[in-house]
Amino acid sequence: MSIFHSMNTTASALTAQRLRMDIVSSNMANADTTRAKLVDGEWVPYRRKTVVMEPKESQFSSLLQVAMNTSRDQEVGSGVKVTNILEDETPYELVYDPEHPDANEEGYVQMPNVDPLREMVDLMSATRSYEANVTVLNASKNMLMKALEIGK
Amino acid sequence: MDLFSGTISNLDKALNYSATKQKVISQNIANVDTPNYKAKDVSFKAAFNEALGESLITNRTNVRHFAFDKTNHSSSTIMTKNQVSYNESGNSVDIDQEMTDLATNQIYNNALIERISGKFSSLQNVIRGGK
Amino acid sequence: MNHVTFSPVSSQFNIQKVEAKPLTPSEAQKSFSSFLKDSIEKVNETQIQSDTLTEKLALGQEVDLHEVMIASQKASVTMQLTLEIRNKAVEAYQEMMRMQV
Repeated sequence: MSIFHSMNTTASALTAQRLRMDIVSSNMANADTTRAKLVDGEWVPYRRKTVVMEPKESQFSSLLQVAMNTSRDQEVGSGVKVTNILEDETPYELVYDPEHPDANEEGYVQMPNVDPLREMVDLMSATRSYEANVTVLNASKNMLMKALEIGK
Repeated sequence: MDLFSGTISNLDKALNYSATKQKVISQNIANVDTPNYKAKDVSFKAAFNEALGESLITNRTNVRHFAFDKTNHSSSTIMTKNQVSYNESGNSVDIDQEMTDLATNQIYNNALIERISGKFSSLQNVIRGGK
Repeated sequence: MNHVTFSPVSSQFNIQKVEAKPLTPSEAQKSFSSFLKDSIEKVNETQIQSDTLTEKLALGQEVDLHEVMIASQKASVTMQLTLEIRNKAVEAYQEMMRMQV
């Protein structure tokens, strides 16, 4: 747990939120993609992706230091990481469009299960979290700079 | 003769508490979107009981009793916040509270550093004899 | 009505009177020299402590920045104090040598 521990934590959070934003933009871009993958000779529409975030466990070195009692604090944890990018299993939307090249016999097209409103809300949430973490990073940096001025 | 007892050592302990609090706050804000994450906090009193010299003298009759001895190095305890509400994903981080705590901790830290610099420079002044 | 009683503060604490023994000159010399040795050892300790923490900082190990800064300040102040004491002692000696017999 060096002096930059809290900055490393925040950096991991910034990475995770940026990845979340990337997933949101991928979902939005593919909101109308009806031919995403070829499965058994059939085109399958795009499936919405979601991220799974988990708290990152402490590094081994800081756990070792806590166990050896050289560290003053108990371990805090080192941030967050994205462990998995899952596909959303909700069923595809059926839209009636007989003219569409991918329409089935009844004239329904399977559209991706992407809801633009929900993606926008996710995007806003990711942006706010990103901004909050940038504030934390600045605060940690200021604290360290201030600490350098002890005795000047 | 102890040059640095009293206020300076208390300020030192307070800076330790402030550094730990900063780590905990950044961990909480980093995990503001993680499902089932419970917000953590640093206990203030535990860090300062030793500074105020309020440790009890206790008799341990059983090895499972807690030991209140002054030789524990002052560790602020990091614990999970209770009395908080969870959102539907099980996350208990209140982002507004955390940002407020962040600002408070900044000011607290700056004040402590100003004071400790002041103490050191006044010591130096005295040693130099006012020259 | 509640009665408020005041108890003298001194009964709470055990205040012991310390008797001051007058020192003989040789005892005073010995105590001063041991005091000097002690303080030089303390200066050394603070310097070593500051060096250890600085090394830990440089190697990226477990340390807090304010710990390093405070330890280095403490070492610097202690060193200054010892230097000033040495200066004063040397001055006093020179003053004594300047006395005309």
